[in-house]
Amino acid sequence: MTTQYNPVTAEVIAELEKVVPGRVVVGADVNPDYSRDEMPIYGTRMPDVSVDALTTEEVAGIVKVCYEHNIPVTTRGAGTGLVGGCTPICGGVVICTTKMNKILSYDLDNFAVTVQPGVLLQDLADDALAHGCMYPPDPGEKLATLGGNVATNASGMRGVKYGATRDYVKAMTVVLPTGEITRFGATVSKTSSGYSLLNLMIGSEGTLGIITELTLKLIPAPKATVSLIVPFEDLSACISTVPKFKMNHFNPQAIEFFEKEILITSEEYLGKQVFPRKVDGSEVGAYLLITFDGDSQDEMDAIVERAAEMLLEEGAMDVLVADTPPKLKDAWAARSSFLEGIEEQTKLLDECDVVVPVNKIPDYVIFADELAKNYDFRLQYFGHAGDGNLHIYTCSNDMEKEEFLRQVDDFMSKLYAKTMELGGQISGEHGIGMGKVKYLAQALGETNMELMRGIKKVFDPKLILNPGKVCYNV
Amino acid sequence: MNILVCVKQVPDTNEIKIDPETNTLVRDGVPSIVNTFDGYALEAAARIKDNAPDTKIVVLSMGPAQAEAALRECLAIAADKAYLLTDRAFGGSDTLATSYILSQAIRKVEDTEGKFDMIFCGKQAIDGDTAQVGPEIAEHLGYPQVTYALEVQEAAADQLKVLREAEDGKQVVGVGYPCLVTFTKPSFDPRFPTIKRKMAARKAVIEQITAADLADIDLGRAGLKGSPTKVKRTFVPPRKKSGMMITGETPEECAGKLYEALNGAHII
Amino acid sequence: MEAKTKDLWVFVETKEDGSAKNVGIELLSPGRTIADKQGGALVALVVGCGVDQAVEEAATHGADKVVVVDSEEFKEYSTDAYAAALTTLIEKYGPASVLIGATPNGRDLGPRVSCRLNTGLTADCTGLDVDDETGCVCWTRPAFGGNLMAVIMCPDHRPQMGTVRPGVFKKPAASGQKAEIVHEDFHFPAEDIRTKLLENIQEAADELVDLEGADIIVSGGRGVGGPEGFKVLQELCDALGATLGCSRAAVDAGWISHSHQVGQTGKTVGPKLYIACGISGAIQHLAGMSSSDYIVAINKDADAPIFGVADYGIVGNLFDVVPALTAEIKKRKA
Repeated sequence: MTTQYNPVTAEVIAELEKVVPGRVVVGADVNPDYSRDEMPIYGTRMPDVSVDALTTEEVAGIVKVCYEHNIPVTTRGAGTGLVGGCTPICGGVVICTTKMNKILSYDLDNFAVTVQPGVLLQDLADDALAHGCMYPPDPGEKLATLGGNVATNASGMRGVKYGATRDYVKAMTVVLPTGEITRFGATVSKTSSGYSLLNLMIGSEGTLGIITELTLKLIPAPKATVSLIVPFEDLSACISTVPKFKMNHFNPQAIEFFEKEILITSEEYLGKQVFPRKVDGSEVGAYLLITFDGDSQDEMDAIVERAAEMLLEEGAMDVLVADTPPKLKDAWAARSSFLEGIEEQTKLLDECDVVVPVNKIPDYVIFADELAKNYDFRLQYFGHAGDGNLHIYTCSNDMEKEEFLRQVDDFMSKLYAKTMELGGQISGEHGIGMGKVKYLAQALGETNMELMRGIKKVFDPKLILNPGKVCYNV
Repeated sequence: MNILVCVKQVPDTNEIKIDPETNTLVRDGVPSIVNTFDGYALEAAARIKDNAPDTKIVVLSMGPAQAEAALRECLAIAADKAYLLTDRAFGGSDTLATSYILSQAIRKVEDTEGKFDMIFCGKQAIDGDTAQVGPEIAEHLGYPQVTYALEVQEAAADQLKVLREAEDGKQVVGVGYPCLVTFTKPSFDPRFPTIKRKMAARKAVIEQITAADLADIDLGRAGLKGSPTKVKRTFVPPRKKSGMMITGETPEECAGKLYEALNGAHII
Repeated sequence: MEAKTKDLWVFVETKEDGSAKNVGIELLSPGRTIADKQGGALVALVVGCGVDQAVEEAATHGADKVVVVDSEEFKEYSTDAYAAALTTLIEKYGPASVLIGATPNGRDLGPRVSCRLNTGLTADCTGLDVDDETGCVCWTRPAFGGNLMAVIMCPDHRPQMGTVRPGVFKKPAASGQKAEIVHEDFHFPAEDIRTKLLENIQEAADELVDLEGADIIVSGGRGVGGPEGFKVLQELCDALGATLGCSRAAVDAGWISHSHQVGQTGKTVGPKLYIACGISGAIQHLAGMSSSDYIVAINKDADAPIFGVADYGIVGNLFDVVPALTAEIKKRKA
């Protein structure tokens, strides 16, 4: 799937100027951030033109000009993606939505909120809480835009209990690649009304249409929250405990696992030590970090007591309790800074975000560790244990970039093959972008990839929207 | 060693917001927490106990009945025994009256728990920010004090060696027993309670002390009327104006105007 | 105690070299205003060892009288010796009000003295006035982490005491007049000082970049253009006593080390003053510095998001504006 695009001429710029007078940014004046996301290792490219859009109509107007002139358009939010999803690899026009950052209205009778796509996750989370509600999706990156979260079907820490972003999108306004404006979904609790165009859009990474308004589902905010820090002597004891939660009728909001090495990286980055590294003289090897939520402190106390009993029986070295706001903040601060900690200490970085059945995590981690011994980079990993979702980072400070890329590609191909063998998927929550198209094709096979390309062509016959992402390379 | 840690239950001032319409503090829904600096004091005591397991840690708080929750949290973290000092007669006390009442209560607690070798306090409470109650307790009791402590380096038989923050750098100070030490933020965070301590703390008995239990107290020195300082009024500081653009013919003129603005607001 | 006079005392803390700490001299400014309103004299109390210079400074900056305690046991600050000196002299002279700089030592000493005198002390004041009705000092101070200001009075106890935050008031201009100087022969037995300084640990000047603890940060971004550009910012830092920060863009470009980085992938800072030079203000950067008390933005792009959070903005080339600001500061300081 390739296509010839036209250059952005003075005529095109003049037409764009008519849509958004005075706000068309050209050439060297374009913000260099717009050439990349958080993973420049997959490649970067400056767009020819950028516009910080403010309304649906503006977005439609810009897209229409581009459609007519056959110019690629790439949408971006805060640029916090990890797969090169918003990198404008064919140049053209970048539409940035971060200035469409208004929370438009709450429908508290139906537990719904309508927002512009540039609202930041953390701003909605705080604002919803002030309305007595919770927006459950909780990716580690709180400065991501909601538009980006929907485009990648992000999920994060609370996925165990509450699911992914997909489960919280009720409706959206979309600008199609032709410039037409349409609306998918409705503020209802269920639907059996034809193909779900809404669900096609979710996770489509800006390749099918541009989201310009979102109606999201909220839930009543839990009244009490408790986190447990659970040290184990080694990783396998730690991970094998994870499936026991559901088996014992626990319904935690989050179950995260990590080894001591990455914790130390993160705590050094934050400049403070929160987690115990020794318990009664024995070295800790790995940790679970678990959160429960519920309606009252008493209910929490009872659950925590029962869970602690189970954990100690399963070989936990101890169970530490965080049930006050400052302690909860401390407990999660280190977890939230894993990526920043790794980034700070690492020059060359690549990652994968596989998801496997929960009971396969121990096998998978052992496989990855063994496999990595054949290469010159180090592995750092952590994960949403309760979801079977792992973030595995290949890190090097002394390899040549070319050699690093070559070794990582070899490693990843084998890792993804193992993923499929265990019944998993290439990406749990980061998406495919341009970094993982090749691996997706290997995993899904030609039939499925062709179906995806077919869908792409129905939405975007001229292939102008975010070219070279998800289902084909350019 | 026998250690008393004084703690205060405070609203989490990080969560306090200003109602933009009435320009008043919004206190509803603001969680109550153990004063952060008192948590550091408790951690310092716990670290002494880590090295000398026969150490006893007693916590004392003055406040309303709800402050029991703060004491239970301290029990869950490291304390062995907790006392709540509560009486309407103590309400409205300023720092001088508060420290007087606390010093009386400390003498009373010592009847049961034995003489304390050390009294640990937070540097200041995050709601009042005065940093006065600790030194004033020391004065009432006639004890030496070390303020702005970061950590206890050694609790030797004859002296306590304390690392403290000084104006430029740090100092190690030695002080004999009994003494009072106030703690500021160290490089480490206080430990988390273990589930076992947590469960025990939930069931623990918290001793209450009221004015009637303090035989020698002069209530004329307690509460609002025993407080030399009076709050005349409170107000929410005017919010800073945002986004004043400074313009001028030359960079020098801009720089001059900026300097004036910053200097006028006492920023530089 | 009873006030024997209407005088106002300012405690002038001294440095090791025998000069006065700034705040002691600063307090002579509001001290003068209050003393005049209350109809008393302005007295500076200088305590230390070999403190002629501090005495001279106080005597030429508006004090009517300087009371001096100059003795070996006051060479190093100790709570015991200093508290004894202050209480003894305050009892002897009976001032109506006492101001103490809210330095670490001042806040260690103040409560000890006020408690021994059984009077009120208002901590860490940022404003001083006199109540028209009662003639009492009105002490204004922040509480609740600065969210609330309280005005405090001490109506029935004397002296009225407060610690006052350094830097709030300006030093008064030096006057030709010279104050009366009274040397007090006060001593405190060294063996009665119950705390012993065992070790002084000076912070190494080139220690890790302490952005979190900085009062002022001058920060540069993509607009700085290269490593040489940061020299211009460093000069402003030197003039202001500020710490050098930067945005991620500058680190990614390799112009400056990551230890200077402010923002989501760097340090979160909350200085009194943050001067952002050539920083556009990406969300990730704002997340790390928006809680600064005051933000100044210097950027040539008038639409840069940084101006949205700035208290003061200058649209212009940082290589023109920053050196001009450095020069201005040096000029004013001189």
